[in-house]
Amino acid sequence: MADEFAKGFAILTGGGMVWMTISAWLTTESFEGTQLIAQPPEDPGTYAQFALLLRDVTTWFVIFGVFAFWIGIPVFRELRA
Amino acid sequence: MSEKEPDTDDSTEPRTDGISEPEGSEARRAVRTDGGSDARPDGGGIVPQDDQAPTWSERKQRTQGLSRLTYEYFERSRREDEDLRRASDYVERDVLAFPTWPHEMIRNLAITSFFIGAMFFLAAAVPPHLPGPANANSTPAVILPDWYLYWSFGLLKLTPLNPENKGAARRPVEEPGWAALGVGGVVFAFTIAALAVKNLIAATFPIGNHELFDVTFLLPLVAAFLAYAVLKTMREGYMFELNRRYFRLRPPK
Repeated sequence: MADEFAKGFAILTGGGMVWMTISAWLTTESFEGTQLIAQPPEDPGTYAQFALLLRDVTTWFVIFGVFAFWIGIPVFRELRA
Repeated sequence: MSEKEPDTDDSTEPRTDGISEPEGSEARRAVRTDGGSDARPDGGGIVPQDDQAPTWSERKQRTQGLSRLTYEYFERSRREDEDLRRASDYVERDVLAFPTWPHEMIRNLAITSFFIGAMFFLAAAVPPHLPGPANANSTPAVILPDWYLYWSFGLLKLTPLNPENKGAARRPVEEPGWAALGVGGVVFAFTIAALAVKNLIAATFPIGNHELFDVTFLLPLVAAFLAYAVLKTMREGYMFELNRRYFRLRPPK
């Protein structure tokens, strides 16, 4: 059980750090303005487009990973036991 | 280094581990009479049972006194532990703990390196915001310290405790009444502190508990009275000097 928690936590923190880095680069207006969840730039270049794709991937990776390891797998084991 | 063909100077030393030596080693040892290139003062060639065993110099220091007692204590506890291990049929009982090096040191270094790496990564990839230089000529609309000091500004906003009009006095001598109140408060802070340690006071000074209790509340009154008297007496001369300086700067028409 503790292993499952550690895996979910690793996904949350590791994916969250990647997400936070890309969000600080591309979806942050300014220090005083909206941070991390602002609108992405209108015409991103190729690399920025790839980074935004990676941001979406990490978003769902964190959501599904945490859901799987903290809720899904324990519930499945409880039902099977 | 292989077990059968040692190629260092250690081969010239007598073997004590029971392994038979190759032919001709006696003759080669006879040639070397200077003890070899790495002569050891602890009777080289005598191999301790493991790295925990004390050296001969360490044994020599344990012949008397506290060092002997300490040695006997640890030796006895080690022996008891060994007997318990031998008597036990529980296999995992044999591992009582892991040595600090390398297990715990490696783990601690790994954790430390991980967090230092995370800090370096964030500092490089998401550098903190550097605001522009402060403009000393413009007052910001909202004046606030960092969030962890908000509580101090909250104290300032407790209006009943912080009346807006604190008076126009700049010197205690200008308002002897309020100054006397302040003096009394400060003295009361000390006397009530002395009352808190009245057992120490009674042991040090020739004063009883009842007298100390009375002094605790009387001394602030006396100090306030004295301060009021002194400041009230000084005020006339102070105001006179103030007015004299003022009129020297701006003489009356």
